[in-house]
Amino acid sequence: MAVPSSPPHGAAMVEFQQVSKVYPNGVQALREVTLRIEPEEFVFVVGPTGTGKSTLTRMIYREELPSSGHVLVEGRDVTRMPHRQVPYLRRRVGVVFQDFKLLQRKTARENIAFALEVTGAPRSEVRRRVGEVLEVVGLAARADAMAGGLSAGEQQRVSIARALVHGPSLLVADEPTGNLDPDTSWEIVQLLSRINLGGTTVIMTSHDKQIVDILRKRVIALDRGTVVRDEARGLYAGGR
Amino acid sequence: MPAAGRPGGGGRVPAVHGARRRRSARSLLYFVREGIRGFGHNGLASAAAVTITMVTLVALGAATVVASTLDHLARRLESRVEMIVYLRDGLGAGEVAVVRARLTRLPGVTGVTYVSKDDALAAFQQRLGSRVDLSELSHNPLPASLEVAVDDPVRLPAMAAEAGAFPGVEHVSYGAETVNRLLAVTWWVRFLGAIASGGFALVAMIIIVNTIRLTVLARRAEIEVMRLVGATAWFIRWPFVVEGAVTGALAGFVAMILVTGAYAWLARALPFLPLSPQQVALDLVWKVLLWGVVIGIGGSLLAVRRFLSL
Repeated sequence: MAVPSSPPHGAAMVEFQQVSKVYPNGVQALREVTLRIEPEEFVFVVGPTGTGKSTLTRMIYREELPSSGHVLVEGRDVTRMPHRQVPYLRRRVGVVFQDFKLLQRKTARENIAFALEVTGAPRSEVRRRVGEVLEVVGLAARADAMAGGLSAGEQQRVSIARALVHGPSLLVADEPTGNLDPDTSWEIVQLLSRINLGGTTVIMTSHDKQIVDILRKRVIALDRGTVVRDEARGLYAGGR
Repeated sequence: MPAAGRPGGGGRVPAVHGARRRRSARSLLYFVREGIRGFGHNGLASAAAVTITMVTLVALGAATVVASTLDHLARRLESRVEMIVYLRDGLGAGEVAVVRARLTRLPGVTGVTYVSKDDALAAFQQRLGSRVDLSELSHNPLPASLEVAVDDPVRLPAMAAEAGAFPGVEHVSYGAETVNRLLAVTWWVRFLGAIASGGFALVAMIIIVNTIRLTVLARRAEIEVMRLVGATAWFIRWPFVVEGAVTGALAGFVAMILVTGAYAWLARALPFLPLSPQQVALDLVWKVLLWGVVIGIGGSLLAVRRFLSL
């Protein structure tokens, strides 16, 4: 299982400082968002579609830059990070997507190994790490099936394994259950929860009320680009 | 994190080096494999890119060969310390003797040899070899001449001017004069060659950019995943660079064969060409290949630039 290294003492895992984002087409996705996520937390980011949840997650692995404000990951300001350091940030932050983003003509194992191979990891390490994360996500038996032939739930497990293979300290999942039926969604959330118990910080966006309400984790609610609520052990809709 | 496993790391440095070398060797293999796969995947587009690059390099190569042939001829002429005094047709033996005597008296002249019209024709026949038979000519068009050996080529221009005024002298030629004319031609050949190959190179580059863009598009999903899992920009770029380099090298190779072949064919018809086909091939091999690879890599970098900017 991944043994994440902690950020510098006292630093938050993720910190947003008055982050705003206006897209070139004039849409304002985030307004003055300030928040702090500590190491080993499990955080839901909830809210209706188009409220800036995805923009927020994409800023953590610097797929998106804010128009103003700063985003710090493990104490480092990623908005000021030089281009050539971005790949190294992304090896510290695992990312899981709603549409999985798997290479359909590669096997589950190859998809996961690919993430390590492209960083030039030695073959023996690739084999060992891929074996480990396949166990974590419970897909060892399906490792050699083509990604295209796996069920949606299995594909999401592969994508989670791929996100974990670098041993990241932070896992960012943008609507990971968005394409899944309720039972499968529940399995995926339990898997993410288990990974969180192993010490990995998990930030997950969702608009699945049931899941959020059952887990009773910290909930950050966004509405039209603003944080409208931030509760420990929160509910999807707030209140008691 | 780096603290673990540090103690007792005495003999580890070589192992780490070995691992790094193995790692880069494996990455290299990956880049080459993916690059060649991309080249093959594009089939017709790759063939078009190779063809236009080859045309570019043939233009470049032909200009290079012509220019260096002229250069060689010029240098060979320049080093000659002699001038040739061509005599008017129908000069009597007495008149020839007078010219010869006056030439011999010029300062710096070390020897004067008479070449009759018949000698000139025989010498020319010899240079042409057996391919052309000059004995079929109805009359001998070559003039008789006096070949004047000189101790120093610096004297030649003044000497030639003086000798040109002697009665019975048609024309005086010497190395430097011919050299100047040759060098002017060489300059033009290089200039036009550069313009032509520059224009072709631009077209070739555009076609290579579009061909490699096809690979980039076909691999969009893969590139996106690579970016997201932390592959460096150069790791993503290398396969495309290899694809461009393969295109350019292949084009360079074919262009070299074509130009050298054409030269070898010409050299058989014109035996006085100063360079052997082997010399031409050696001269071209690095120029044409290098330019091909430069054009190919340039095109590939342009093709991926847009996709790798964050």
